[in-house]
Amino acid sequence: MKQIQMTKNLPFSSIATKKIIQMNGVWTSYDSKNFALEGINMSIDRGTNYAIVGQSGSGKSTLLKLMNGMMIPSKGIIKIDYVTPKMNDKKFKKMMHTIGYIPQNLGLVKNSTVIENILIGALPRLGKIQSFLKKFPEDEINEAKKIISQVGLSGKEERKAYMLSGGEKRRVAIARALMQHPSILLADEIVSELDHVTAREIMDLITDAQKRMNLTAIMVHHDMQLALEYANRVAVIKEGQKILEIGVEGDTIVDFQTGDLSTEEIMEMYADDSKK
Amino acid sequence: MTPKNNIVIGVIIALLVAASYNIDANPIDFVQGLPNLGIVAEEMLLVEPKYIPTALWAMFETIQMAFIGTIVGVAIALPMSMLAARNLNSKYVYAPIRALLAAIRTFPSILWAILFVIMVGLGPFAGVLAIIMYTIGFVAKLQYESIETIDSDPMDAVSSIGVSKWQLIRYVVIPESASHLLSQMLYMFDYNVRQTSILGLVGAGGIGFYIINYIKFFEYGKAAVFMLVVLAAVLVIDWVSVKIRDKYIIKSQHGMEVRAKSN
Repeated sequence: MKQIQMTKNLPFSSIATKKIIQMNGVWTSYDSKNFALEGINMSIDRGTNYAIVGQSGSGKSTLLKLMNGMMIPSKGIIKIDYVTPKMNDKKFKKMMHTIGYIPQNLGLVKNSTVIENILIGALPRLGKIQSFLKKFPEDEINEAKKIISQVGLSGKEERKAYMLSGGEKRRVAIARALMQHPSILLADEIVSELDHVTAREIMDLITDAQKRMNLTAIMVHHDMQLALEYANRVAVIKEGQKILEIGVEGDTIVDFQTGDLSTEEIMEMYADDSKK
Repeated sequence: MTPKNNIVIGVIIALLVAASYNIDANPIDFVQGLPNLGIVAEEMLLVEPKYIPTALWAMFETIQMAFIGTIVGVAIALPMSMLAARNLNSKYVYAPIRALLAAIRTFPSILWAILFVIMVGLGPFAGVLAIIMYTIGFVAKLQYESIETIDSDPMDAVSSIGVSKWQLIRYVVIPESASHLLSQMLYMFDYNVRQTSILGLVGAGGIGFYIINYIKFFEYGKAAVFMLVVLAAVLVIDWVSVKIRDKYIIKSQHGMEVRAKSN
């Protein structure tokens, strides 16, 4: 980890808007003794298709939860689109609306229909009374229908989530995330339980959406092959540490020493905090 | 069977004997008393059919009381269960609500009935109020327990979108726990019909009023008519709720179609 000097009143500006996720020396723990992540440095550019690869228990899911504020680092600093994630912080809550998160078990409401599940993604845009009455405006419903056809679920709008196949459930989860008008899409081992063909269909679907909407997709895999095939950038996590970060450009793999932020970037991150 | 098990069983038997001795539970009295039961049974067989219309009407009143009690009780219990669920609230909210619910449950419905008879006078209304209280105490407990066992996955996924707590309840908690609620309502209605049948004991309306009075005056034949009507009603309600359960609940809980066997 880089040592930096804290300087106050840094000129605020410069590098802005290019990075969407920045982490510096991030440690997390579920209890006070065992650390799930140990000093992670990471920097992800806007619009990247990023993959995090590691074995079970390596801390990769924890890493994902840091990126939508579900977990807070016990040490170190993290910025999501230049905002520090904080529960109950209005600025960050607004940001959460545009972070699509698909947990490992997808988190669908199994007794609700496909379209009901997808419309959940539009809830932040809905007024109190409308959301109590489950009354979505016409254009939201139309958008949901459009997304349903994009993910290939046409005709299954009224099907209950528990009746769907594994591949279809994943399509619903993706559609719910897209309904959020996301800038970041986080997916935790979304294809690990699927057969090869379905897994590739799902990966194609996400990659298409990522390119079309210019999202930053950050996906956790345990299959390196799949990660190399789809991602621009792959980070390998082992026992809570990032041991490797590589870039994929066409058929060539480039080793990056990055992920470590430049001193300038780190200073800016801290300056923003001390400003508050 | 390990020696440890033998000791446990031995201790249980010893406690059983000691407790029976303490409360004067004597099997010999039971055997000697059997002929008395024979007399009651014999008189009960002299069923007086002309009381059937009265009995049916009283049963209808009882069912209406149970119906109002169940619906209103559940309507009040539902928001309370949301407040009492540990996965939705902080300790400062759920702890007092749970204490209140526990206090409500402490009294059996017959005690509530006595209390409400004092409050609003004799009659079915007191019985309905008693049933409401009892339903609140129980359904709220069953419901907050089922809310706490909801899969945390959709809760996490949806709350990570940054929705409000009300939206979370409306779009995740209620759909995921609705089938449990329906099941509890059916169970509670069934239970309340039986409960209401004895509230007449304290003058809180319902068919129990007739039963207790005929028994007091040793008119077992007349009491038998009313008891048979209760039995028939409970069987019918049980049958109907099994049908409803098969149609709506089991399917959604297990995510599959369940067909009742039909020959």
